[in-house]
Amino acid sequence: MTDRLAAERSARTGTPAASGDREATSTILQAVAVSKIFGGLVAVDGVDFEIPRRSIVSIIGPNGAGKTTFFNMLTGLYKPSAGRIGFDGRDITARRPDVITSLGMARTFQNIRLFATMTALENVMVGQHARMKAGLFASVLRLPRVRQEEREVREKARETLEYVGLRPSLLDQMAANLSYGDQRRVEIARALASDPKLLLLDEPTAGMNPQESARLTQFMETLRRERGLTILLIEHDMKVVMGVSDRVTVLDHGEKIAEGDPDEVRADKRVVEAYLGRQEGR
Amino acid sequence: MEAASVPARTTRTASLDAARRLVSHYGLIAVLMILPVAYGIHDLRVDGDLSRLGENLKDGVSNGAIWALVAIGYTLVYGIIELINFAHGEVFMLGSFVSFSFWSALGLTLASKGAGLLFGLLLTLIVAMVACGGLNVMIERVAYRPLRNAPKLAPLITAVGFSFILQNVGLEWLGGSQRGVDDLIKAQNDLFTIGGVHITHADVLAVAVTVPLVALLAWFVTRTRLGKAMRATAQDPEAARLMGVNVDTTISLTFLIGGMMAGAAGLIYALYQTTIWFFQGFQAGLIAFTAAVMGGIGNIQGAVLGGLIIGCIQQISDNRIGGEWTPAIVFAYLVLIMVFKPQGLLGEETREAG
Amino acid sequence: MSSAAATWRGLGDRIRELPRPVVWAIGAAVLVLLILLPFAYQPASGFIDDCVTALAYVVMALGLNIVVGFAGLLDLGYVAFYAIGAYVIGWYGSGFFAAIAGGKGLHVWAESAGALPGIHFNFLIVLVVAAVYAALAGMIIGLPTLRLRGDYIAIVTLAFGEITRVFAINGADIHPFGKDYPLTLGRQGITPIDPIDLPFVKQFDPLNLRPWYWFALAMVLVVLFVNFRLRDSRLGRAWIALREDEVAAASMGVPLVKTKLKAYATGAAFGGMSGAFLASYLNTVNADQFEFSFSIFVLAMIILGGLGSIWGVVLGAVALSFINSRLIPDVLNGVPHKVGLNFDLTELSFGIFGFLLVIMMVLRPEGLLPERRRQIELTEGVGGDETLYEARA
Repeated sequence: MTDRLAAERSARTGTPAASGDREATSTILQAVAVSKIFGGLVAVDGVDFEIPRRSIVSIIGPNGAGKTTFFNMLTGLYKPSAGRIGFDGRDITARRPDVITSLGMARTFQNIRLFATMTALENVMVGQHARMKAGLFASVLRLPRVRQEEREVREKARETLEYVGLRPSLLDQMAANLSYGDQRRVEIARALASDPKLLLLDEPTAGMNPQESARLTQFMETLRRERGLTILLIEHDMKVVMGVSDRVTVLDHGEKIAEGDPDEVRADKRVVEAYLGRQEGR
Repeated sequence: MEAASVPARTTRTASLDAARRLVSHYGLIAVLMILPVAYGIHDLRVDGDLSRLGENLKDGVSNGAIWALVAIGYTLVYGIIELINFAHGEVFMLGSFVSFSFWSALGLTLASKGAGLLFGLLLTLIVAMVACGGLNVMIERVAYRPLRNAPKLAPLITAVGFSFILQNVGLEWLGGSQRGVDDLIKAQNDLFTIGGVHITHADVLAVAVTVPLVALLAWFVTRTRLGKAMRATAQDPEAARLMGVNVDTTISLTFLIGGMMAGAAGLIYALYQTTIWFFQGFQAGLIAFTAAVMGGIGNIQGAVLGGLIIGCIQQISDNRIGGEWTPAIVFAYLVLIMVFKPQGLLGEETREAG
Repeated sequence: MSSAAATWRGLGDRIRELPRPVVWAIGAAVLVLLILLPFAYQPASGFIDDCVTALAYVVMALGLNIVVGFAGLLDLGYVAFYAIGAYVIGWYGSGFFAAIAGGKGLHVWAESAGALPGIHFNFLIVLVVAAVYAALAGMIIGLPTLRLRGDYIAIVTLAFGEITRVFAINGADIHPFGKDYPLTLGRQGITPIDPIDLPFVKQFDPLNLRPWYWFALAMVLVVLFVNFRLRDSRLGRAWIALREDEVAAASMGVPLVKTKLKAYATGAAFGGMSGAFLASYLNTVNADQFEFSFSIFVLAMIILGGLGSIWGVVLGAVALSFINSRLIPDVLNGVPHKVGLNFDLTELSFGIFGFLLVIMMVLRPEGLLPERRRQIELTEGVGGDETLYEARA
């Protein structure tokens, strides 16, 4: 179904459905003519967008270009004013965020949004909510399968936190008391714990020093290699973007102004204008 | 999901959106019209004229003027610190109590007439307004200001707590039962009659106090420096602070004005109903809050409009359905509005995040 | 104040640090003492009477704690569930529907009711029905609040509580099932109510309060058990996540509607059960019992003890109900006269609870026995108030 959508879209726009010669056989996500209007203000304007399976794709653009709004439509926090979004063979346009998460999309937030008074471990356990079954009565009776599930979920949370590099001594620390870098780690672990196929990272390197950014870049590659993840990134740090992305999409004033591999985008005149024009404006 | 269906789907959504907007814009108004229209038709068929409905609406407007004054207090405070000032109804109640005690101390009785009565009541009005304004400012200082950075639940709980404290103050002041007060203005005597509708002293009093007060408030908020600071703080406290507005003072001022309006309402209520009691504030508070939400919380005109409408609904319900059901009807409206049109009649659509 | 507070905190931490078996041993000892307690008093002693009421309030407070403390939804209309539970036993455990079955009555496992007219179900059935009705009502009241922000939730639930009361007062004029079957008896009250009648046990007797006490204690234990189990479950974590950050919770796969409704339903069910018990114990269901102030009374219990803290809530409920039944009437009442003031302190009880709410929120918002999380949240002000629907609008 979505492949037909993609084919239709590519026929309409004249761009190939999947760029490059990667092993990607299909796209995991495509957005067709997605718009968001906030009381007359067009935040995202008819954006066509797709992500090949197992790729790392970035969206860049000046502040207020509509990147986070676009992100929020993909994850169901906003309903698109127009357009369709397909994910992993399903139409997810305007579905609830928790449904989208259970279908295999997970995200982090630009300004970290951990559950501040829960421990690191508990945060990651909440991330597995959609993968768990225990209901109200089963939890009260603590049936054997619930007990088993709790054990597994706890174990998996521990492993995931270890995987993102949180020190074991911090597992039971409340999220509010963690350092900024550790909070970022926990947030990524929380997203990973929901077993996503597609991971959306909203400015993950914000507030990080160059070494930390580099480590995170490496980590994204590892995620793709070891877990077969597809990653969509919003990022300001051009070094990170250019280093890690297979493809870069540029938004400005809610419109897609360029798309291609990092070198192409870097050379694109409109992109240069969008960025430099803004800088001159300051 | 075929691409061919995409544009079709969009047009369908567009027409659906248009329908939804229509319902959202006029649905509430339509629902509000149900009672008056239904009883209007009923009156025309049974009595042959609309005088009974007219009488209801007239009572509704004059009662609604009182709710409007109380509703302004809710709306101003909510507009500026996004808190439902639960204790506001009790401030209004104490307004009635202060008025009664003060005019009794002045020696106003049933026998008072003319200039003496007028002067005495004006003085009472000022005293009630000052007392209630001061009380409201004090409440903010003690119960809300220390919690400005706490989760929203916290000041809401202190607000409820304060409302109970004030209710008990009222209980100790004038006792636990309804207290009749002197009918100083012969409230229910007719002044004149238009089209079969009797206009009483009380009606004139309610309108004659409310209109100038609201006009004065409107002038204050739009024309004066302090009023502008208030509106700026309501829109964006941080920006207002940066622009040199003293946010704490502005908040105090807002509570002062809200309390003064409640004080005036308290005096009108006492003269109008000629019975007061410690529990009047609870009901009045909820009715006035409903009015504020109906008009669009944060919006002064909205509060006035909501007050008048809710006054009419309440009168129609009291007179036709039975006073014992009125609270349920008012609250049913409250719930409906909250759920289907939380921005109210005149309120703006909530600002989008992101 | 602060040194007393420090002592409390110290006590809580010290208990937490004790080894598990020791905690269990202490718990068992306390439980045995509680079970034996009635033998120290006369069967109809006033103290046991107060204890029974206090235990029933503990059940209610623990129910409200799920909604307010765990899920962070400020419910000011909790009294509605008390009313529903009470009316369930009014309908299904009294002579109220005297006309049923041609005056011969309808009895289910209710031997003690003999051939009395009216519907008489065994109390255990009544308890289940009360829980189910209240849970349904909880969901119905919860539905319209799902998209609202915290303070609007408070107002809507308050409005529902008041609507319930209006129906309770005017219910004598409502006959949904024919003219012999009104909804309530309004302020006149439905009385008498069947005393609790359990299988294998003699029917409870208003003059011997011990069985009532044990039954209430058993209810508290069950509700405590459910509270602890839920708190440490998938659902409990989802509630807390929801309270902390609705947007993030939804993005992590927590379905908001279902999760909130489960909180409302569970909390309401406990209120309904306790309501049915209290109605049977007090032997009347009267519309005047269901005032708004009762909702605040229960809220004050959980605030005093500590929002979200299960033991805190138990403490708060016991403390407030004893302040209400003992301290205010017996001890404090003489005070105003001694200092020359002329008023009656029982009249003031709700003012005192109001004062308590203000004082607690301003000086010690986390309560006497705080939950660890809440302590951080309330003293450092972390956690967001934005709702998903605001973000989505």
